Amino acid sequence: MSKHNAPVFKANLVSESRNIPIEAIYSSRYSLKVKFVNGVKTDNGSRFKKMVFKKNGEEIAVGPCQYIVPSGDNGRLGRLIFSKDIYDLDSLFFENKLEKLQSDFFNLALILTHKDKIKKEFKEYTANLTYDLSVYKNLFDSLDAKYTNEPDTVKAVIQRTIIENEGRKFMRFMDNKLRDFESIVISYSRKEHERHGYYLRRQLWDFIVCAPFMARTNLKPRNYSGDSIMMRMIYDNDYMGDSTFAKLMHKHPIEHPAAQAVRNRRRMIGKILNHYKQSAKTGTSKKIKVLSAACGPAFELNDVLKSPRDCAKFHFTLLDQDEKALDEAKVLIAQIEKKFDTKIEVDYLNESVRTMLATPKLNKMWGEFDYIYSMGLFDYLTPPVAKAVIEKLYQILKPGGEMVVGNFHISNSSRFYMEYWLDWVLFYRTEQEFLDLLKGVPSAETRISFEDTGNQMFLHVKNTLTKK
Amino acid sequence: MLHAKWMLVQIYTKLCTNLKEIGVPMKNSIEFNVEPDWDEIEKIRNQSVDFLQSHRFSDDTVHSLSMIISELIENGLKYGDFKLIENKIVVTIKIESRNVTIEVFNPVDGGAQPHLVRLDKMIQWIRGYQDPFEAYIERLKEVSKKPIFDTESGIGLVRIAYEGKALLDFFVSENNMLNVSVVSNIET
Repeated sequence: MSKHNAPVFKANLVSESRNIPIEAIYSSRYSLKVKFVNGVKTDNGSRFKKMVFKKNGEEIAVGPCQYIVPSGDNGRLGRLIFSKDIYDLDSLFFENKLEKLQSDFFNLALILTHKDKIKKEFKEYTANLTYDLSVYKNLFDSLDAKYTNEPDTVKAVIQRTIIENEGRKFMRFMDNKLRDFESIVISYSRKEHERHGYYLRRQLWDFIVCAPFMARTNLKPRNYSGDSIMMRMIYDNDYMGDSTFAKLMHKHPIEHPAAQAVRNRRRMIGKILNHYKQSAKTGTSKKIKVLSAACGPAFELNDVLKSPRDCAKFHFTLLDQDEKALDEAKVLIAQIEKKFDTKIEVDYLNESVRTMLATPKLNKMWGEFDYIYSMGLFDYLTPPVAKAVIEKLYQILKPGGEMVVGNFHISNSSRFYMEYWLDWVLFYRTEQEFLDLLKGVPSAETRISFEDTGNQMFLHVKNTLTKK
Repeated sequence: MLHAKWMLVQIYTKLCTNLKEIGVPMKNSIEFNVEPDWDEIEKIRNQSVDFLQSHRFSDDTVHSLSMIISELIENGLKYGDFKLIENKIVVTIKIESRNVTIEVFNPVDGGAQPHLVRLDKMIQWIRGYQDPFEAYIERLKEVSKKPIFDTESGIGLVRIAYEGKALLDFFVSENNMLNVSVVSNIET
């Protein structure tokens, strides 16, 4: 049903003494137009206990409500407006839900009491930080206002100068504040982290949402953390935002070690695949089959496919649950194909790893792979699922084939920043817990490595069965 | 037969308690084979409580974990495929150094696919919040927008995350067994 064809339905306006049949016409999100039938009318301002109507055979009563004829609207239809619970007619007619405008208030008491167990030192810290951030914001905003009428090129240079001077000092202030913050929360239990994180985000919300990266990690428009747009922001590692302050708030988490680790792992995959290509014993006509599980937009392929010869050497299978991320990967592949005027063999699989595991004989469907890699997937899988996924991936690894999967280490130095400010929670592992995922799998040779920041851990796996 | 099985579990958990009291290491995991019968929920919940109490978890933790077990069995009963008499729900509880892991397995058929897609989205959405309280509030808001023709609230999974203080996940294995797992952090 579309809003352009406003729904009309038969209803009755019911009060203690009257039951008036009407035709109710969807008029706006919170009001209906009323057309009287059978010649029975009512006066402007009349109140009714309820309006009763049928929807798909079900009797629905909403109310109380009032009939109002807007002044100067002689001859036009009057409106019915709800006078206690204000019903959302868009939800009712277009989503089959009975929603009230005030429904957010139902949980008010619960939300207000959620702050009761916040520790005093944390409240003090947050209050001071809120004050400091608002001072910084006002200063940067007033500078922005002073040069706002300059030509664009001049504005850009001025802003860059401010960022490189006062901006970098602000970044150092943020670093110091985060160090203080970590020393406060380090001993908190998981439950306390959750509760205090919620409190911090409520207090700093306006500062958080002005920064594009922080806004996205918090709002999660695709309903999960670490989507391809967030990844692109991390890779770009640039200043983004509508103001100088917003740009700085955007850039700060992107310079943090965990984000650097993400950039490092992308480079590492490029290096590994290039190295694998050089050392692969496959004949010249045989392509190297590579699977990227939870591939995202597969930006790393830019670092791998650097010539027409590279493009001819690989056959990629890109698997992701997010169709939009796969579309971005398709665009990237098309750009590389255009650049080198060649075709790249790529299969795209839009599937969730959690349900993929049900597919019997996956090797018959997807084939077997020389190399499998997965970054940014195992950080979200609990042990039972992680074990099932890695074992399944191992099953489709060719004898002699290799696999590398990433997982943030339990000592991730950006952990609290990510959890509290970015609302970004990962499943962290120790080296042993990571190795244990393939424990008992015969022929799997495993080892652990780290990238330069030491935050991101890699499990390297080799299928030691010899090639046929 | 079922009564005898129940008695054995009672004896086992009592024995575990006694062994722990005298410092003898005890089994850190337990498995229940659950008949697809709504009356089984309470029984397994009680047996789980005994097992967890034998490991001296706090009352709060025991309550949270046993609530999770009930919710997951209920989920299994709702969406499981029990056309074959041998099809059952299997519940395991594993106690490790940092976590307690609860896994509930049940067979599913092709008809469960829409449920699995919903489950996948729901679990990722819940786990997108640092504080499951936020997911709980959001879900309550959704539930207050009372669906007119749909009775599924989805509040059970959010309760597991929020009240159960646990991380939810799932996968479907090759033999069409749905494995819903919950990892609960042991607070020290």
